[in-house]
Amino acid sequence: MGGCEGVVPWEGLTPRAVEVTTMGESRTLLSGAGNHEVDAIVSGFEHLGYVTDRSLATAVYLVTKLRKPILVEGHAGLGKTEVAKVLASFLGTRLIRLQCYEGLDISSAVYEWNYQKQLLAIKIEEGSGKTVEEKERHIFSREFLLERPLLQSILAEDASPVLLIDEIDRADEAFEAFLLELLSDYQITIPEMGTVRAKHVPYIVLTSNRSRELGDALKRRCLYQWIDYPSLEKEMKIVRTRLPRIEEKLARQVVGYVQSVRQLNLSKPPGVAETLDCAEALQALGKSQLDEEAIEQTLGCIAKSVEDSSKIRSAGIDKILAESMGGV
Amino acid sequence: MLGPTGQSSDAVRVIVEFCRFAREKGLSVGVQETLGALDAAAALGVRSEELKFGLRSILCGSKDDWDLFEECFQMFWRESAVEPQSSHRRPPRKEISSRVSERNPASLMSMGAGEDVSSEEDGAQTVTGASAHERLTKADFPAVPLSDLATLEQISIRLFKQMSRRLARKRRTGSRGQVDLRKTIRRSISHGGEPMNLRYRERKPRPHRLVTLLDISGSMSPYSLFLVKFLYTLQKHFRRVDTFLFSTGLVEITSLFRAQRLQDALQALSQRPAGWSGGTSIGGSLREFNQIHRRKLRSSDTLFVILSDGWDTGDAGVLAAELGAVKRRVRRIIWLNPLLGLKEYQPITSGMSAALPHIDLFAPCHNLESLLALEKHL
Repeated sequence: MGGCEGVVPWEGLTPRAVEVTTMGESRTLLSGAGNHEVDAIVSGFEHLGYVTDRSLATAVYLVTKLRKPILVEGHAGLGKTEVAKVLASFLGTRLIRLQCYEGLDISSAVYEWNYQKQLLAIKIEEGSGKTVEEKERHIFSREFLLERPLLQSILAEDASPVLLIDEIDRADEAFEAFLLELLSDYQITIPEMGTVRAKHVPYIVLTSNRSRELGDALKRRCLYQWIDYPSLEKEMKIVRTRLPRIEEKLARQVVGYVQSVRQLNLSKPPGVAETLDCAEALQALGKSQLDEEAIEQTLGCIAKSVEDSSKIRSAGIDKILAESMGGV
Repeated sequence: MLGPTGQSSDAVRVIVEFCRFAREKGLSVGVQETLGALDAAAALGVRSEELKFGLRSILCGSKDDWDLFEECFQMFWRESAVEPQSSHRRPPRKEISSRVSERNPASLMSMGAGEDVSSEEDGAQTVTGASAHERLTKADFPAVPLSDLATLEQISIRLFKQMSRRLARKRRTGSRGQVDLRKTIRRSISHGGEPMNLRYRERKPRPHRLVTLLDISGSMSPYSLFLVKFLYTLQKHFRRVDTFLFSTGLVEITSLFRAQRLQDALQALSQRPAGWSGGTSIGGSLREFNQIHRRKLRSSDTLFVILSDGWDTGDAGVLAAELGAVKRRVRRIIWLNPLLGLKEYQPITSGMSAALPHIDLFAPCHNLESLLALEKHL
């Protein structure tokens, strides 16, 4: 498993507080209850085409168990958003997505009243003889409520949906503060209707590209997961899973190539998404192995700006090629 | 919380002990997190290897925490009982800045101090007591003694933050103008005269893009490190910020700034061979800017800021021509010159006087006060 390097085998170590407790005792009290379920998540995700490691799977397990939101951070193109999508299909539930952007406000994220419909309703009821209170109750009922993603996730009738709040770092701080009520109490307050509480607590996944530091209050309410660039083995596994028809040799070369490009200090280092793009492009071009020409042809899959492509060229494509062949 | 899981009090104690240990090492672990850790332990089992991952996702809140956790975990489970308990305890974390300085002792700040530390003008002597704040705000950056740098840094970070909050507020309230009755009525005709969609008179949009060029040549070195921090704070308030350093050549540091926290960014910056404290060619750097980065300028919404003392070893004609080319593509050019803080300063160096006709705002940036005064122009 890719992410297991450096795991400390619990058994072999002496806890610092050894005089306070003996680990021997606690062994009998708690067996690894979560073990199997973490395994189930790893294999379930893999079945759905998402290669993961025990670290992420454990965090996902805790999301389902402790019902806490999870904040996933990492560089672009490493499958942060995918976590939510796969989790939804793994749990067999609906995915509700909110894409954040600067200036995102309550009316496009949570709810809005359907003003046109309300005005029409008032017109229609003009001669009906209803009291003002009745009219008011009518036009502020759910019939006139436009549900946006956050409210939808709270109002889900049948089962807990997965709510993906994508790129939360793009939204401004005011919106982040608004989210706190939802994240800790799973409820939303609508002044005209009162507080709406979730029937089925949604699983919430937030992603961030770290374009700005998020508030402490938000971070404290969430589990945290950092997704790093995958190791060679893990990336190989991802390529094999996503592109089952790729030749082993080509896959190894592409992965080696992208891994060495990542060392070049580009302004936008290629993620796994770029590796897959590049491999797919090479397949489409009918290449069975990587050479200088092939790299030049698919440079656009890897480098996303003029500066980056010239950086790759000046580092010497032949050198990078030799390096990536080293692993074959 | 713990009741039904049947954890032994010993297992609970180990977890709690670990949480305390992690807090001492600098993770922000409170009661909430400790309870979360216990819940995770109950769900995962104390002896499972997943417990580490679980604890990590509970106790961490950022990439820095993530790395720190690894250390804590190794330390906690490797240290044997042989070592006396108190020896490995570091003072607990009080605030973020203390933790940063602990990890990053050779702060970039000290590089900018220069030799003229001993100069005692502008009330920059070692300051104590209530007037410290006032004095430091007005003190010329290079005249601040080494011993006060830490205080000045704290004050400046606080004031920059306040400023940015005000800027943000300004933008939020100003975003919607008055109702445009004429347009509203015109639009309402299709609804039989009922004004269903209100039309608004748009405010003139404020600049959304900021392009800054900071001079890091030798003559600017007492100031440039402060100015870097100022630029870092600014980037939050524009939709897009492109930041460049120049001396004899131009270096873009936008991505460095965007991706990292201030301290990390400064450290990464100090390791770049960007020609800190070399000679200056403002005109040449501007030409390089125009050649490569011109597309980053859009006349309607770009604010172009140069921070330099105007000592140019290059051709003043080139400077004027290139600045003119920039001028045609931006909304405003602001030139911040630390020398403007000197009473007797006249912008008569050939470079500066060639540049002046193209500049919309010429302002000082020699102390904290002058930087904060820029708020109304941003």
